[in-house]
Amino acid sequence: MTGDASHNLSGSTWDVERLLGDALRPIEPPERLSGRFEDTLSAVTQAAAEELSDWAEELSESELRALRDPRNWLRPVVAAGVGGAATGALVLLELRRRGRGQTKGRLRSVANRVRP
Amino acid sequence: MPTETPTDKAELDRAFSELYRAHLRDVYSYSYYRVGNHHDAEDLTEQTFLQAYRHFERALRESNGRPLRPWLIRIAHNLAANFYRDRSRKPESAIDDAGMISSPHTTESLVEGREELKTILDGVQQLPDDRREALIMRFALGMDNREIARALGRSDGATKVLIHRAIRQLEEEMSDSDDR
Repeated sequence: MTGDASHNLSGSTWDVERLLGDALRPIEPPERLSGRFEDTLSAVTQAAAEELSDWAEELSESELRALRDPRNWLRPVVAAGVGGAATGALVLLELRRRGRGQTKGRLRSVANRVRP
Repeated sequence: MPTETPTDKAELDRAFSELYRAHLRDVYSYSYYRVGNHHDAEDLTEQTFLQAYRHFERALRESNGRPLRPWLIRIAHNLAANFYRDRSRKPESAIDDAGMISSPHTTESLVEGREELKTILDGVQQLPDDRREALIMRFALGMDNREIARALGRSDGATKVLIHRAIRQLEEEMSDSDDR
């Protein structure tokens, strides 16, 4: 071993950083790797495209027909309308109930004032 | 690397090709030093770029023009962790002498130099995982503290301390082996 020559000026430690720089060199990837990656990527994107196309085909036979039917567009609109009307009715009922409550309260206070 | 997020698929693919060409050697070097052999390093590199491709658009958007190398190395780092977990093992062999083969040496210093390098590589293999990885990033990939910090998900300060301690540990171990 080169011994002293590999030590720092203090003589107590190695020049570890220099050795690390020499030992941990970048490694050149094999040339075949790029080709291999391109092949894999093509296969993956192709598989994804096919899957998407299968999904679209499946949809076109069943769900797409239903989706294209305008009668089916009306249902959600009606449902939303019914839901909205029901909510409105509930709000009205609640307001009326409170209104009645307030009227009763006012009558009670008038009655109390009139009583001897 | 482009600083703006590409808008169409072709543009995105072009940007990815650029990233691939720019960092293939980095990812391969990192993978090689992690797994210790070329066969698994090729698999790991391929998986890293495939995963990067899937999330590339988002990474570009969120990087705000910062380099994507730490992101790539982080993917490789996570995949390497899974690799060990799946196979329940550490690298089959110590990092072999790939670095030594490409090191320029004079004939006289060749044997002695190789011995020194073997000792330091053995020392690197014995380090805790985070210290070893930080040294690989620093010396094999030439990453600075900030990049290493991003790749390891640590602060710049913690990374600086990590590298300092790794080097100190190696110095001590080599001095001890010299005394024996």
